[in-house]
Amino acid sequence: MPLIRKPVDTPATHSAVPVDVLKGLHEGDQDQRWAAARAAADVSGGADALANALQSESAPQVREAIFTSLMRIGSPTSIASVVRFLRSDDASLRTGALDALRTRHDVVRAHLPSLMADADTDVRVLSCEVVRGLPSAEATQMLCDLLSRESEPNVCAAAVDVLAEVGDARALTVLAECEKRFHDTPFLAFATKIATARILEQSTERHD
Amino acid sequence: MTDFPELTEEEFRKLCEFLYRRTGMVFTEAKRYYVERRVVERMTLTGSHSFAEYFSRLRADVKAEVEQFINAFTVNETYFYREDHQLRCLTSDLMTERIRHKKRGDLIRIWSAPCSTGEEPYSIAMWLLENWPLVDEYEIEIVGSDIDTDVLEFASKGVFGKRALMRLSPDLIDKYFSMLSQDSWQILGDLRDSVRFSTVNIAEPGDTRTHGRFDIIFCRNVLIYFDDASRRIAAENLYENLLPGGFICLGHTESMSRISSLFEVRRFADAIVYQRPKGVV
Repeated sequence: MPLIRKPVDTPATHSAVPVDVLKGLHEGDQDQRWAAARAAADVSGGADALANALQSESAPQVREAIFTSLMRIGSPTSIASVVRFLRSDDASLRTGALDALRTRHDVVRAHLPSLMADADTDVRVLSCEVVRGLPSAEATQMLCDLLSRESEPNVCAAAVDVLAEVGDARALTVLAECEKRFHDTPFLAFATKIATARILEQSTERHD
Repeated sequence: MTDFPELTEEEFRKLCEFLYRRTGMVFTEAKRYYVERRVVERMTLTGSHSFAEYFSRLRADVKAEVEQFINAFTVNETYFYREDHQLRCLTSDLMTERIRHKKRGDLIRIWSAPCSTGEEPYSIAMWLLENWPLVDEYEIEIVGSDIDTDVLEFASKGVFGKRALMRLSPDLIDKYFSMLSQDSWQILGDLRDSVRFSTVNIAEPGDTRTHGRFDIIFCRNVLIYFDDASRRIAAENLYENLLPGGFICLGHTESMSRISSLFEVRRFADAIVYQRPKGVV
């Protein structure tokens, strides 16, 4: 009955980690660069080397491993280097940075106020997505601060969308003002109404 | 059990942080009762008189307390043929795809991690023997791994109670188990020898790498206990442990797409599974 009838050699996982990990980030095949990217988080100087490698790396798998390692390092330098990629022209790098930042609210939190006030509209939109994972009260506060000063409808829409999911009753006043300000932008007025209704519904449920 | 005062907020935080650093599992205030029950149990068993005393013991790892502590936090409830739609998928689709580029007699490796008390890897073995006509044509290696060393000891003995066998027909029980008493059955020796057990922390690359690459991994209902950062590291570890084109099966409430973009989603008639892309080394 035994399913296996002879001893087997365990097939090795990826390539061995290169001797010079930081050099390995730029050399060798994709498999070797992946191994180097994963190991670099534990090597001195890893944060800068990983951030540099991300500029030239084209393999999506290796990029993801680099982002994970940068977040694992979790130092101000490594987080700042991930944040920089929110401004990338390459959509996959922007999304990669966003997904990575969402995994470490503990260290990303400090960057959020400046990101939400960034001159780049896209960065403000993506920052709202990072806020989605924060505790409700904290997220509500940050998004309300943004909404009360924001003039770009797409950024407001991103904030309203997140508020609809995580916001609490403290957002109602700001949402009402937003709806008034953007009454001539139908999609935003509609989104604001939905968010308001959802928050009211949730706060009613909480009081029942 | 001895009564201990509730953990203070600071004690609770320290404990959860310790657990997180060692295992990747995240517990918040919402799980305070669950955490406290286990800590009080460990305090009682180690004769600790206060949390401070217990925590010093834990940090110093007196008499392998770290291992005992982790064991107390792992969820070990499982039974044979649990989520059998994935087992159906295994024999109707996954094995067929995996042998497409293999020769008869080649090795097919299947990993159950975490395997808890062994019901899952033994279920895989039984299911293949019962439902895959080519089972004798290939060398099939099944490995069961878990972070909890107590459950692994239990798994290798292969002794189970009535509850674990509730989904099995009397015929299957007769065929693969010997009755030890009114309430306990032991898996036959041949089947026990078909599964190899080992320790693994799937959030720790050093642990997972030693297990090599697999054709199929069952990693069910564990990632839900991890936070986002550990989940992503675990996903990368599991990706490394898969052969190109290999499959990973998660629990029915889990989604790899929300964790990582490394895998492709495959929808089969019986289950949704995740695949390591074929062309990528």
